[in-house]
Amino acid sequence: MRSSRSLASGKPNLSSMWSIDPLYPVFFATGFTIGFGHCIGMCGPIVVSLSLNLKGRSVVLPHLLYNTGRVVTYTVLGGIMGATGSFTLVAAHIEGIQKGALIFAGLLIILMGLVMSGWLSFSKIFGDHYNPDGIVSKGFNRISKIQSTAAYFPIGLLLGLLPCGPVYTALLAAAGAGMRAEGTFEAIVSGMTLMLLFGVGTVPALFLVAKLVNMGWFKKREIIYRLGALLMVAVGVYFVVKGFLY
Amino acid sequence: MMRYAAARRIKELNKKHIRLCLAAVYTLLFYAAVASPPAFASGSRINCDAHSGACTQTVGDVTVTLEITPRPVTALQDLVFHVTVAGPEAAKPAYIDLGMPAMKMGPNRVVLEPTGSGKYEGRGVIVKCASGRRTWFAIVTVPGFGEAEFVFDVVY
Repeated sequence: MRSSRSLASGKPNLSSMWSIDPLYPVFFATGFTIGFGHCIGMCGPIVVSLSLNLKGRSVVLPHLLYNTGRVVTYTVLGGIMGATGSFTLVAAHIEGIQKGALIFAGLLIILMGLVMSGWLSFSKIFGDHYNPDGIVSKGFNRISKIQSTAAYFPIGLLLGLLPCGPVYTALLAAAGAGMRAEGTFEAIVSGMTLMLLFGVGTVPALFLVAKLVNMGWFKKREIIYRLGALLMVAVGVYFVVKGFLY
Repeated sequence: MMRYAAARRIKELNKKHIRLCLAAVYTLLFYAAVASPPAFASGSRINCDAHSGACTQTVGDVTVTLEITPRPVTALQDLVFHVTVAGPEAAKPAYIDLGMPAMKMGPNRVVLEPTGSGKYEGRGVIVKCASGRRTWFAIVTVPGFGEAEFVFDVVY
């Protein structure tokens, strides 16, 4: 836990709070470079799945929302890390949530793949009991047809919780920044800023992947969608297995 | 004529923007390479059993010993890094950079405090990689003498 806090002093030290921590540009640059290496490898399949699911529609707004959601989660986690000043304390509590996020992401990708390919229909799942107006069917329909732009923001929020080594490292730095801060408010702001910059740094790489995968220009898109669906199911299964093993 | 001039101007502006973007990208890459500590070691092989006890390496004129406690060395736990530098005294305290040989993990530096007679101590955390890979490295830098790279497995 953080050793020195100036809560008693009342006012936060604004002069030191707004001075730029040398770690900020370092983690922005780290996010940028890691984005083109680690993130494309680890989060690439999710981005590809989300892009294919758009079926040739513009990726700009959906992926902007997805990345915003992801960065918001990072920023909130950074604030928590900064406030506590202890990485291990928070990490121990969020490990279960991250495991759940990994499994959920896998199931979501499988579902998206199956729906995109047309291999899955509600009547097949629910049989004779299929009621399109039922709560379960409505909910399932909403999740499986994640083609509405607004849905990309909550997906980003949730997938920001995926366990990831570089995110852990950045959170570790956020906790360190919080520990060095003079007051709780400054600690939260430091942690949030560091994670915000790290997250923003990772956006260009994932955005580029989303843009490259968009098949709006391709005439025989159906072939790509079928292959994409297979890939999505495989990736989803991999995520679910990883989630259980994590 | 005016249309042609406007098109030319837009083209020039685009070129200017592309140049600016490229300059920003190069600056970021340069900054990441220079400012962030090394976090990538290619072709590293395990040369230390951190779970058993201390590991020793010779760097130039000094012998560097690294011990990590508590054992077994587990990811996502508070760890204490004990470094002993035997030989001529270094002008500045040693420090450790943690990373994975297989994947870039971002800068994770353990600041060491001198505890006397060439001994240093610092706290740090080895994070967890979702890929399941368990091999990590700790590069101990002794300013003025060089770096000792300890490669070891951790428990997830």
